[in-house]
Amino acid sequence: MKKVLFTVVLLIAFSMVFAAAVEIDMWFHSGRGAERNVIQDQVKRFNEMQDLIHVNAVVLPEGSYNEQVQAAAYANDLPDLLDLDGPYMTNYAWAGFLRPLNDYMSEELKSDLLPSIIKQGTYKDKIYALGTFDSGLAIWGNKKYLEEIGARIPASVEDAWTREEFMQILADLKGLPEIDYPIDMMFSDVGEWYPYGFSPIFQAFGADLINREDFMSADGVLNGPEAVEAGEWFQSLIEDEYVNISPPNDAALLEGKAGLAWTGHWYYNSAKDALGEDLVLIPMPKLGSPDSLYGGQATGSGSWCWGITSTSGHPYAAWTFLRFILRPEEIVKMSNANGAVPSRKSASMLSELYKEGGPLSLYVDQASLISVERPVTPAYPIISLEFIKAIQDISNGGDVKDSLDNAVEEIDWDIEDNSGYPMD
Amino acid sequence: MSKKRSLKRSKIIDKTVGYILLTILALFFLFPLIYMVTTSLNPDESDIVSKMGSIEAFIPTDVSLKNYFGDSSAEDADLTENKGVTGRMNFGRFMFNSIFIVSCTVVAGLIVNSMLAFGLARFSFKGRALLVSLIVALMIIPFEAIAIPLLWLVNIFNWLDSYHVQIIPFIANPFYIFLFYQFFIQFPKALEEAAIIDGASWFKIYWKVALPLSKPILSSVAILHFLTQWGFFLWPLMVTRGEEYRPLPVAMQQFFGQYPRDWGDIMAFASMMTIPVLILFIILQGQFVNSVKSSGIK
Amino acid sequence: MTSELNKKKRKAILIFILPGLVLLGVFIILPFFMSFGLSFTNQRILSRLPTQFVGLRNYERLFKDDQFLIGLKNNMIFALIVVPVQTILALGMALVVNKNLKGVKIFRTAYFMPTVTTMVVVSVVWSFMYNPQGIINNFMQAITFGKWETIDFLKNSSWAFPAIMLMSIWQGAGFQMLIFLAGLQEIPKMLYEASTIDGANKWKQFFYITLPQLRNTTTFVLISTTILSLRLFDQIKIMTNGGPNDSTYTVILHLYNSGFTKQKVGYASAMTVVFFVIVLIISIIQRLLLREQREV
Repeated sequence: MKKVLFTVVLLIAFSMVFAAAVEIDMWFHSGRGAERNVIQDQVKRFNEMQDLIHVNAVVLPEGSYNEQVQAAAYANDLPDLLDLDGPYMTNYAWAGFLRPLNDYMSEELKSDLLPSIIKQGTYKDKIYALGTFDSGLAIWGNKKYLEEIGARIPASVEDAWTREEFMQILADLKGLPEIDYPIDMMFSDVGEWYPYGFSPIFQAFGADLINREDFMSADGVLNGPEAVEAGEWFQSLIEDEYVNISPPNDAALLEGKAGLAWTGHWYYNSAKDALGEDLVLIPMPKLGSPDSLYGGQATGSGSWCWGITSTSGHPYAAWTFLRFILRPEEIVKMSNANGAVPSRKSASMLSELYKEGGPLSLYVDQASLISVERPVTPAYPIISLEFIKAIQDISNGGDVKDSLDNAVEEIDWDIEDNSGYPMD
Repeated sequence: MSKKRSLKRSKIIDKTVGYILLTILALFFLFPLIYMVTTSLNPDESDIVSKMGSIEAFIPTDVSLKNYFGDSSAEDADLTENKGVTGRMNFGRFMFNSIFIVSCTVVAGLIVNSMLAFGLARFSFKGRALLVSLIVALMIIPFEAIAIPLLWLVNIFNWLDSYHVQIIPFIANPFYIFLFYQFFIQFPKALEEAAIIDGASWFKIYWKVALPLSKPILSSVAILHFLTQWGFFLWPLMVTRGEEYRPLPVAMQQFFGQYPRDWGDIMAFASMMTIPVLILFIILQGQFVNSVKSSGIK
Repeated sequence: MTSELNKKKRKAILIFILPGLVLLGVFIILPFFMSFGLSFTNQRILSRLPTQFVGLRNYERLFKDDQFLIGLKNNMIFALIVVPVQTILALGMALVVNKNLKGVKIFRTAYFMPTVTTMVVVSVVWSFMYNPQGIINNFMQAITFGKWETIDFLKNSSWAFPAIMLMSIWQGAGFQMLIFLAGLQEIPKMLYEASTIDGANKWKQFFYITLPQLRNTTTFVLISTTILSLRLFDQIKIMTNGGPNDSTYTVILHLYNSGFTKQKVGYASAMTVVFFVIVLIISIIQRLLLREQREV
């Protein structure tokens, strides 16, 4: 017995001294500075705390991240572990580039993760990606201006502004001398911001990006009467000069030139610095009728998430690192840096920002009550591209119905071309 | 007497008009670039935006290199906004990569393209005309059109994520071959006939006679080739992964993610990216035109 | 003796043309033929479905694809406006710079500066200037004493394309100026001296000496600018992404969107082939026209 034990100890010692660490390649998008710093720090600490696994992290520029990953996938040259912008995951999963994570996940972890995180990562009953944070989309306001015009500041998601109220507030804000455009809808940003930030408008009106019953067509959903109504309302905001579609930067609220900012959690840190006590977080307004598809009120969800590739030679080692950054205390570090919603309930409790009554806890409430994830379908890249184009055309004064019809036609055509994206 | 004076006067008017024209054109061509440089020197991001529309944009109140090299004395020196381009990214590495890749491509390109053009222009052989038409036709194919098959191909060669994958496919270029061809075809036949009688080899004629006479075209092609490769974005995006082989245009994408957009840093990056090409141009610019006169072609 | 010379010559020909031809063959011709082959399939970048032969389906769709036709139309408009304007501007600049004035070299460098600046950089700088609050709107306001109404150049269907054209001309004119300048300096001084003695004025000299002598240079500038303007992509992608309402949409952007973003490699390949044929026809027509003039 002793002999056996001795051998085992020797073997372990031997392997620790001589066996080279398993090398894991990992890619992530450059993102915002604070976010990048946290990941780099996590990689460094992970590599230092043990000798068995070494993570080589590569930062890729965000502006072209999706294209770069796509080219690498085409060349079969993906790393072991990478982060993907939420809904893009499905296309990779469908094409067979990602490995299901179900077998690695404990029940405890599964039940601790936010439902929205599980939903965004699940395709055809298997989980392919997990995020350390979820996003939050709502309206940041400047209390000083809102009080000046006598606007009601909603206390909860249920208490949100109605469409009439919202329009009145925009009109009143427009009347203030300091304000150029009452609400900044972040047109300085491009690309994925449009479906993320603006599809909730369509959903609030009762429309959607695609028919989610079978994900086979967008017809009647993205170009139905509800969608046209949403598009026309959105267009009216621009025509009435409530929204600037060519802002020089994304700081109108911070500089006092706007009263509201329609944007995500990432705005928190700089808004807090600029406005201090005057900063208020306002839930998404009730734009549509309560008996419409999503009950008349919607917000976005989903964010960057991690997947392990099917070509990875060391999936378990990659998982070990993923499990490390999914530890509640690591999640809180990230959440403090970027203001995002922690992806685990146990982490929310540790977070000053997100614990009950915390300044950002509204995001958590929204997530459980009114969040609609972007459609989990391999057709998402096309849906996104066509929706972006439709929004561009609508915001530039194009015909709403035509723009949406075009988008639907392209989306349906793509799904048909791919025989409905079958899994078998 | 008076005629002479009026001639002199008209000359003066001519000169004045000339200078006025030159200056107006210079303003038109330079002001966006001056705008770029002055914006890059303004350390205050909100000041940049508030002044963006006025003439004040050209006169920064507070000149600083913060956008370039960061400001280590700032209160929040660790904040990305305060790090400057060089603190935000491995700028030196990207600059080296770009210079190395583009220089190799251009030097190899000058040799290969001019040789092919020389062969087509100075020899008569079967299929020569066909080859010339083929090369003209190839000029039309845009890179975007063949990028995906090319990616597939270099992947088979196992070339991904390297310097040579960004160099070798771009050495031979039909457009530059055509430029050289147009130039070489003008040479009088006597040029090489004399040399052949002297017993010189073809290579010697190319190297010792043709090339020295071709300085203007060599410089034009060098600049043009350099410029095209310098701004090349789509291909390095597809074939590079980490920072090791990443050139400047791909690195620039780091500024175009999400919030916040830092115009000062973007303009600083843009200014620095322009410098090497500018230096190359200043070195080569005399060759463009002046040597035409001394080349003895005419 | 002659056969040995021929042998030597043949070897020389091979040495000269082989490296270039091999590189062209492997990196342009081969991928182009691969594109041709792929154009009859439904290949995608990422897919779990096998690639299938679909016959002429991609081609049939292409001619019904509004986006493609809009792109083609925009490319033509761009070429029809930019090519003549840029060529005339470049020739004018070359004439001014060719004058024997002090400091002319400095001006020449100034005009060439935009060409030296990469398109990515240029596009970013101009986007900033075209902003409604940007310097161009304010400048127009200043010189019209406030009568100018602010225009959001890049988001306005009637202004976006002209705005991009102006910027492209600004960026490209310098290089052509240099080509013209080289051409101008090749014109023998004797011709001008002789005509001055004959009493020809400056205009006559320009039309009867300068222009005819520059014929080769002009042909070259015209053809190369046409090809480049048909390839319009970088500035569009960065500044407008084809919008607003397709007013700046071009063929290459459509090619990029179809082949990369939408991953339809087969369809994009069909577009490559058709576009190649169209540009080839344009170049051939252009050549024939210019050659005819030469023989007159």
